[in-house]
Amino acid sequence: MVILEACGLHYAYPGGAPALAGLDLAVRRGRRLAILGPNGAGKTTLLLHLNGTLEPKSGQVRIDGAAMAHGRAQRASWRRRVGLVLQDPDDQLFAGTVAEDVSFGPLNLGLDESVVAARVAEALESLRIADLADRPPHMLSFGQKKRAAIAGAVAMRPDILLLDEPSAGLDPFGTVHLLAALDRLCQGGTTLVFTTHDVDLAWSWADDVALFATGQVVRQGEAETVLADHQALAAAHLKPPFLLELGLKARALGLLAADAPLPRKRADGLALLEGLAR
Amino acid sequence: MIRTDRLAAASRWKDKSLSEKAVTALGLMGLALALPPFPGALAVLVAASLLAWRSGVGPADWLALLAPPAAFIATGTVALAVEIDAAGLHLAADGGRAGLAVALRALAAVAALLLLAATTPTPALIGGLRRLGLAPELAEVALAIYRFIFILQDTAQTMHAVQAARLGTVGWRRRIRSAGLLAASLLPRALDRAHRQEIGLAARGFDGSLRTLSAHRPVSVWGLARAAILLVSIAGLGLAW
Repeated sequence: MVILEACGLHYAYPGGAPALAGLDLAVRRGRRLAILGPNGAGKTTLLLHLNGTLEPKSGQVRIDGAAMAHGRAQRASWRRRVGLVLQDPDDQLFAGTVAEDVSFGPLNLGLDESVVAARVAEALESLRIADLADRPPHMLSFGQKKRAAIAGAVAMRPDILLLDEPSAGLDPFGTVHLLAALDRLCQGGTTLVFTTHDVDLAWSWADDVALFATGQVVRQGEAETVLADHQALAAAHLKPPFLLELGLKARALGLLAADAPLPRKRADGLALLEGLAR
Repeated sequence: MIRTDRLAAASRWKDKSLSEKAVTALGLMGLALALPPFPGALAVLVAASLLAWRSGVGPADWLALLAPPAAFIATGTVALAVEIDAAGLHLAADGGRAGLAVALRALAAVAALLLLAATTPTPALIGGLRRLGLAPELAEVALAIYRFIFILQDTAQTMHAVQAARLGTVGWRRRIRSAGLLAASLLPRALDRAHRQEIGLAARGFDGSLRTLSAHRPVSVWGLARAAILLVSIAGLGLAW
């Protein structure tokens, strides 16, 4: 069931080429959608539209079928349901300590201080950064800042969380931590939409994929179908994920049963190789 | 990172009530100004240094904190300690006692304030001022500036490293040119950062007010009593001497 959709979005920055050119996108409830595209393609611009920060020149963004209005009050109520985490956490963290920063969103929802305190504790725990509650943001590592910024959005309990390049700037260990935290959110019912140019990350983690190029979504669907479409990937200046290619090759050679799941994680790929060796 | 900020974040007194720390530090500052400089101000200086040590500020850090204001005070004291007349440059008629007294008072008062700064994170200080009646708008601006200082410092350090890597800091001419370029590009970057931060805040329902939930640190009666005992003891010592 579609929870969030964009229909025929057009947008151009002043004096610039069109960033969105009749873009259509559908986000299914409770799923993890990866928006894949090369750098500078306009992925962030799209997220800013989905969150209500930017207003399209034409087209609509809808949530549960209701179109977004761009009045102050309507935008505020939209943002209660659609959270946004920017690529650079320093763009979001402003308060003196992590806990104070996380409390900002829930307080803006008009909640009681006791409820806010409980939400802050819950968000910090879900991101596994409760021990950082009293630390100033400038004393955190980049990965810790990322998780603190996400906690700030999570504490508002949005139905949909938009993440701009969540793994950018993180080391592999930091990425694993972050994805585990996002997995917990998804299991809790939050719909996740994230932009990336990392096809391997999208394949290992997303349920659905949308390929973004020249201001449009050129292909959208289940990760396995979209990421196996070489033509569509080429149109978005991307290459297929390694593990998907490996699995498809093994299938084509009869080394992997047609109904067997394709390897998504590194461990799956290694298990496949071990199986072949036997 | 700013030294006081680093020390405050790591201080053993970080979680102490601001009221207790403020009573101690401001009380010491008051005594430094009110008591005779010797032994009153000297006792305040020693007490502030010992308390800073107890709170986790090492001697090297404490001296580094005191050094810039001490140098400033020393410069000002010269005018009181020496005289220039037809006989040339010589010590003041009182042998420099007035200058020494002023320097001792000023240094003791500064030490008392540094004790507060090195044990209390800036956001907690701003929160305290807000509770005392500082306009919320001013407190928010102060907090935003505080946060921005570190972001800009980080940006400036990165840019400086990049300039240095391309030999932009070899020779004073290039150093000056690079510093100018750095300063010039910091402003647009700061504006860009402010714009992006506005988007980040708007995504979390920013309505013009930066309200956050501050941690509550209860005042300890025993802590206040200890501060009072310390202040009374120093006052007694200063007056009885």
